[in-house]
Amino acid sequence: MRAAATLRTSWRERLFGTPTITVVTLLLAAAIAWVAVPIIRWTLIDATWSGQTRNDCTGTGACWVFVKARFSQFMYGFYPAEERWRPNLAGLAFALSGAAIVFAPQRLKLRLGLAALVILPPLGVWLLAGGFGLRAIETREWGGLMLTVFISIYASLIAIPLGILLALGRQSELKIIKLISVLFIEFWRGVPIIAVIFLASLLLPLIMPSGIGVDRLARAVIGLGFCIAAYMAEAVRGGLQALPKGQREAATALGLSYWKATWFIILPQALRISLPAITNEFIALVKNTTLVLVVSILDLLGIAQASLADPNWVGMNMEAYVFSGGLYWLICFALSRWSKSLERQR
Amino acid sequence: MKTFVLAAALFAAGTLAASAQQLAPSPTLDAIKARGHLECGVHLGLPGFSFANDKGEWTGLDVDYCKALAAAVLGDATKVKFTPTSVQQRWPILQSGQVDLLSRNSTITFSRNATLGLNFQGINFYEGQTFIVRKKANVKSAEDLDGASVCVAAGSTEEKNAADWFRERNLKVTITNFQKNDDAITAYDSGRCDAYTAGVGALAGQRAKLKVPDDHTILTKPISNDPQGPVTRYGDERWQLIVRWVLNGTIAAEMLGVTSKNVDEMKANSKNTEVRRLLGAEGGFGAMMGLPDDWMYKAIKQVGNYGESYERTVGLASPLKLERGQNQLWTKGGLLFTPPFQ
Repeated sequence: MRAAATLRTSWRERLFGTPTITVVTLLLAAAIAWVAVPIIRWTLIDATWSGQTRNDCTGTGACWVFVKARFSQFMYGFYPAEERWRPNLAGLAFALSGAAIVFAPQRLKLRLGLAALVILPPLGVWLLAGGFGLRAIETREWGGLMLTVFISIYASLIAIPLGILLALGRQSELKIIKLISVLFIEFWRGVPIIAVIFLASLLLPLIMPSGIGVDRLARAVIGLGFCIAAYMAEAVRGGLQALPKGQREAATALGLSYWKATWFIILPQALRISLPAITNEFIALVKNTTLVLVVSILDLLGIAQASLADPNWVGMNMEAYVFSGGLYWLICFALSRWSKSLERQR
Repeated sequence: MKTFVLAAALFAAGTLAASAQQLAPSPTLDAIKARGHLECGVHLGLPGFSFANDKGEWTGLDVDYCKALAAAVLGDATKVKFTPTSVQQRWPILQSGQVDLLSRNSTITFSRNATLGLNFQGINFYEGQTFIVRKKANVKSAEDLDGASVCVAAGSTEEKNAADWFRERNLKVTITNFQKNDDAITAYDSGRCDAYTAGVGALAGQRAKLKVPDDHTILTKPISNDPQGPVTRYGDERWQLIVRWVLNGTIAAEMLGVTSKNVDEMKANSKNTEVRRLLGAEGGFGAMMGLPDDWMYKAIKQVGNYGESYERTVGLASPLKLERGQNQLWTKGGLLFTPPFQ
């Protein structure tokens, strides 16, 4: 109670303490209003929400009719309408198991997590791509938010284990393992991601004998995964180096093997220390998925841009970018909150 | 006996050689038939030429050509899959064999033809730099722009082209520079210049973004020459032949008055030999390329002739409302032309 009162007085003092401060506060408030009011008017007040075509958009604000007409494409790309339950189901499976792991009792967490790691990725690919009883759907028909989420999840499934192994490898006393790790990290960290995606999509088919086609999306996901793994390795190495040497020495003295010491003593501490840096990499990954646009894989941003070419909707640039930008922000914000809650966990 | 066998062998070899001369092997066509669909590289999104509509179907002038080709080759205009390509990946994706052809508003130039290992198979759109002006300004051609001002993006090819063109003709035109294309068109829309310049196809898309599109008109006679058409790899001449003559066929159909509506009647009743050859009623033209004789009949029936395609995608029946201009038949004052079906 007392703390709140102090806070209130202190805020009043900080904002309106002296005449100079008051003037600055008012000026800043005016500046914020000057920027915010037109934005709010455009996005909400003057915007058109209902209708079918652009002719229904008579107001001066945003024409959300466009987003409404294109909503299913923004979400699923060209994925056949009657099969959209499949990405929905896959998303639900991932979300539910994520929640189950978070809320499970401590002793079950690890087992649940490992089980999910073994079952979910193949299940997701099967649901989306089909085969084995489901109608096969080529990756060129995938798109939109679904594809952005897919690339993010699967690239990080490659990046996390690989990144941790590389970080450990770089600390290894075995010269050859250390060398391989350093070479891998320095190579993938030094090459621009956009170049990797380009080479994976264009150069590989030229080199490889025709007929052996690895799917274009798979190539992009693997390339992206390798790049992020290299970044991830350095983030984890930061955590490893922050641990006092005594931790491993004590573990060894207790008779734990290298892997046991790493798994039970070193990694849990190191990962917690490097969590903010790792989250950073994930958020960068989500946003970097948009780079697949250069090889015409239509992720959320790609499908938004492609929609602008429909003569019925040309000129809806603001709506397309505001909507897709908003979705990216939501995903990244959710990731950031999740990592915060992980950091707080004991 | 020996001579008989020898003669028979010679005869067999002779007929083989003759048929091989008529029908060269076409790995591309064989691959298309084996996989059951055509692989066509298109633009990622260009209003009127290639874009996905609200239902996720690819449409546009370049897309229509691929559909016609699929109808001619496989008998079904829906048996085509589209690979959207960016500017950077369009050539490699064709060179590496990931698509059977590109139909992607790419300008035909000497150096591309000579150095990329690619052949251009005719022209399906005469693109060229032109101007958009206000209807009430009463400007009929670029020459009328004397004394006017033109908005352009600084340092663009369009700026250089326009400046050169006006200087050569001693026309006093003020060129107003802007940082980006978008800024230039916005400035034009707000009345700071009398004209804005870009390619015909691009202008059609940009006109739709203006406050009152109907107040503006696009000059049909361009000041530059950027013809565009379908592209194939070097080699596989029979496939190149098919790609070229399906395009010619859609133009010939318009020339001869064959449309998707009257094609059945024309095939049954027309006395015109060229129509009869085009639609496979006589001449066996399809078989000469290893296609069914009704190849163009299927293409016209399912997709329509060039004019029908044009009107539907970029022409007056579309939101772009682009006039035919240079893309009109040569008999009607345009440049569109096809060698005869003889």
